[in-house]
Amino acid sequence: MYDSKVVRRRRAVLAIFVALSLVMLTAYFGEGSGGVFHTLQRGAQEAFAPLESGAGRALKPFRDAGGWFGDTLEAKGENSDLRAENEELRKQLGESAAAAEDVEQLRGLVKLADEDTFPTATEPVAARVIARSPTVWYGSVKIDKGASDGVEEDQPVIAAGGLAGKVTSVTGGTAEVKLITDGASAVSAQVMPSGATGIVRPEVGQPEDLLLDFVDRGRTVTEKTTVVTSGFTSDRVESRFPRGIPIGTVTRVDLDEVQLYQRVHIDPFADLRRVDIVQVLTAKGNPSETADAESGP
Amino acid sequence: MSLAPASFARAGAIAFLAVILQLSGFGPMRFFGGHPDLVPLAVAVVAVYAGSVTGAAMGFATGVLLDLAVGGTMGVSSLVLTAVGYGVGRFREVRDPAHGLMPIGVGAAATLGYVAAFAAVSFMLDVGSAVSALVLRDALVTTALNAVIALPVFALCRRVLRPSLVMDPVDVRRRRRGPVESGPLGLRGLEA
Repeated sequence: MYDSKVVRRRRAVLAIFVALSLVMLTAYFGEGSGGVFHTLQRGAQEAFAPLESGAGRALKPFRDAGGWFGDTLEAKGENSDLRAENEELRKQLGESAAAAEDVEQLRGLVKLADEDTFPTATEPVAARVIARSPTVWYGSVKIDKGASDGVEEDQPVIAAGGLAGKVTSVTGGTAEVKLITDGASAVSAQVMPSGATGIVRPEVGQPEDLLLDFVDRGRTVTEKTTVVTSGFTSDRVESRFPRGIPIGTVTRVDLDEVQLYQRVHIDPFADLRRVDIVQVLTAKGNPSETADAESGP
Repeated sequence: MSLAPASFARAGAIAFLAVILQLSGFGPMRFFGGHPDLVPLAVAVVAVYAGSVTGAAMGFATGVLLDLAVGGTMGVSSLVLTAVGYGVGRFREVRDPAHGLMPIGVGAAATLGYVAAFAAVSFMLDVGSAVSALVLRDALVTTALNAVIALPVFALCRRVLRPSLVMDPVDVRRRRRGPVESGPLGLRGLEA
């Protein structure tokens, strides 16, 4: 009934495609960012960018209509939470205004360098998200700003007032941003004002709940305090973010008797599942202008 | 393989459109925490109408395209979608499902297989953290949404593929049906 040739050919085709996939997988992990597959990806992303951007704009009304149903349901629950939060923020605003004055005076006293603080040492470049990873496993988005706009690899990206991720690859007009909810992401962070430091990692598939890990048991961390990037590097952290970028607020602290460290749960400021507009914190000053100035008389 | 060689352009167009629409249009949509995913449906529809070998080839090509466009780990999507295309194609070859609602079941099964296999491969390769209930919820919602849109997607893709198909299974099934007894032709009182 079965033609053995047909069966063999069918199985051979399957084996070839599976083997090709495994070869690509192995080669991709083995090569650096300048390798063949990475270069191909950058080229393809550059080529697809106008199409994705156009399709994204054309389909926006449908996306919005779809999102409206879910948003309406969620908005009711959020409303009461936001009212309570608003009250709290009003109180904090008064305190912050006084604190800001103190900071100005202190900065003048110790002559802090501009490049050590956010956002004075950076130039935010607004960008639109034109494509995003279709799964919860790879938290990445593509934006419509690239090298021609001053965007470079490893620059931090913020959304809605909070840290969103960092630029991992750049083409002329687009850039790939790895979100802090990506499984491989790690950000050095600090709880303010207690100063407790740790590493922010995602809990995969839980974009509303980040974990601040490796916080010393002796440090007191209280709920509703703010977590910001600390600006330090360590062997546990893959890259450095400038100090002072807000990440989120503390929601819960897990104290395990056995563990050396406490785990702090953070509610991120940025809603990374719905982000449409982001800002890339590029280096202050246009590189071309700087070059002109340097080459001048 | 029931697709003529020249028809690969049509299958390629389906793959390309599915990837672009998924990344720019369907991906950002949110319904109950999930989103519809055109990619496994596009692979499944070609596998259903063209068989396991073409289905596997379509899965591989779509996976490569998706990994290139997304910037994800090359090979993961193509590995998973090759398996999905081959599996759906074999199901069609062995079972030859004839029911009109077949796309719903096939679409849902293909999506569930894709999401589960993708999660398993990603978990083995990349992710060391705990998997949350949200991942499972997303997978189930995506499967349900794909089941809902499977019928129009299958119909649309079949329309695109039909000129190139050596044999259209839907037409074959229609021809297999017995003649419909419709009564005498003509107007009342003037029956032929």
